Amino acid sequence: MAAPMKSMGSSFNATSFQKKTRSKLISIPGTRPSVQNGQLIVSTGVTSLDYLIGGGLAVGTVLLIEEDRYNSYSQMVLKYFMAEGVLCGHELFLASAQDHPDDILTELPAPILDDIASHSPMEGRMQLGGPHASQDAMKIAWRYQNLPKVQTALASSSRFGHYYDVSKKMEPEIRQAANCHAFYLPEHSTESSAPRSPLLESYSALLRSIQEVIRKGGFDGAAPPAKSRNVLRIGLPSLGSPLWGDDLCCRDNPAHGHALTTFLYGLRAVLRSSLSVAVLTIPSHLIQSGLSV
Amino acid sequence: MLLELIQGTEGGGLIIIQDSIHYSGRTLLMSFIKAALKRDEVVHLLAFELHEEELKHELGHSCLQRLKFHNAFHDPLGWNENPPFTVHQFITSELDSLLTSNQHSKPVTLVIDSFSFILRHLSPSAVCKTLQQLKKGGAVKTTLGLLHSDMHHRNMVGSICHLATSVLTVAPGHQCHEAVAKTIWRAKSGKISQAMERFSISDDMTVKVQSKPVPVGSGQGEAGDAEVDPTANLTFNLRLSDQERQAKEKLALPFVFSKEKKSALLRPGPGSGRILYEPDANDDYDQEDPDDDLDI
Repeated sequence: MAAPMKSMGSSFNATSFQKKTRSKLISIPGTRPSVQNGQLIVSTGVTSLDYLIGGGLAVGTVLLIEEDRYNSYSQMVLKYFMAEGVLCGHELFLASAQDHPDDILTELPAPILDDIASHSPMEGRMQLGGPHASQDAMKIAWRYQNLPKVQTALASSSRFGHYYDVSKKMEPEIRQAANCHAFYLPEHSTESSAPRSPLLESYSALLRSIQEVIRKGGFDGAAPPAKSRNVLRIGLPSLGSPLWGDDLCCRDNPAHGHALTTFLYGLRAVLRSSLSVAVLTIPSHLIQSGLSV
Repeated sequence: MLLELIQGTEGGGLIIIQDSIHYSGRTLLMSFIKAALKRDEVVHLLAFELHEEELKHELGHSCLQRLKFHNAFHDPLGWNENPPFTVHQFITSELDSLLTSNQHSKPVTLVIDSFSFILRHLSPSAVCKTLQQLKKGGAVKTTLGLLHSDMHHRNMVGSICHLATSVLTVAPGHQCHEAVAKTIWRAKSGKISQAMERFSISDDMTVKVQSKPVPVGSGQGEAGDAEVDPTANLTFNLRLSDQERQAKEKLALPFVFSKEKKSALLRPGPGSGRILYEPDANDDYDQEDPDDDLDI
């Protein structure tokens, strides 16, 4: 790519060209309009998953993940989702019946934030004095020998969706910058719901808590336009497991067979009119029919 | 893997021994109890399915004295007055009062003779909640229990084992005194290790593992089959012998400069051009994908 001679310290940004937007779309950091239908979408944190679901997760929708047998990969996807929210400055809501939400938040993966091609020319000079082998490292493309290794993936140029290093944990300073609401079921006192209610107490308490957070945070559009808008990311790991009080995973004819689906309907209705997005995981391998073929 | 679990080096948690009608896991449970007593731990046993006399017969009198035995066999449902221990006492508040009655600094192991009995009389979500609180709370280091997998629905067994730190499934082996144990252990980091071992239990309740643990799912028996070598079975020769390889290295490529000229060119001089490469979407051209430029 031919480029005019610039000073040595120029940044590696491609161009200064910016698209002029005439629309009055609200611009919230970490979101962008979808190329297909103009809906506002957020990144799930996993860029390949974003590509699979058409660019990203639409705001106001719910993503359901069926857990793998030992709940390792589904938890990882949920953590990526939360980590992406921290980096974009979104608000987080995490509800769990098994581990405390604060414990889950300490295990978020560390983001890869530094620029990829940031090697200084100093390295090039060092390589010349190096041993024989490094000189012969490139026989044919030797003119490129002293250039820093550049990743062919579009890591540095994409602003939507970040990359993470799973082997490291996110720094507490980055994590504490994000506002997180936690719902831990054992600590939540559950008042008994109406006897004919199709919802379990735990699910109705959770739904009420989500509605409360949306209303207080102004995610449902009731906030004055002066206040900057933000997106709420809701993470619900292991919904439907016996720890929520639901015996859907244990019996073929559960006592509250429709509690989980009623909760999901309610959740969808609440989210549709608010600037929030939810990701939940369900241990579906326990809900499958117990009959072995 | 099995021996590490018995010795307690894996750090406790919730251990479930799944057995079936073909092989009872009770002797393995007794060997766990004996090993814990040898390590001088405080062991509480909730015996729903075992009479005290039988236990004395299996474990020996001295062991029984050191064990904190809770007789839940006589009156588990509390039909008579003053039952020693009922199944309804299997909730966190009651268990906490039971376990902290003797203040010791030693680690506490809670052994439950069987979860199956409890699951028959209490709701599974309540049992799961109690087990989760036992796992999280600091009172008990290890919770160990027997689960008869053929007594329950497959999903119920699955839900209980989902909470467990390690699950041991025992089955009869090929020889009469041997049994096979399949261990699935979940580390704190989330890594899962599985192993299948043959073991036998001697009269004094020590477990002897007969074979090396075979990681489940890997190739059976002989060394893993070699990958198919694409350069074999061709009509032309794709491999290089050593001589041929050396000759290839020595060959001087056309248009290649001598080493001095190369290093002279590599040194960035004044006014020479620089190569600026930035990865672009167009650079990811995949020659095999004909629809790469299709924009749907």
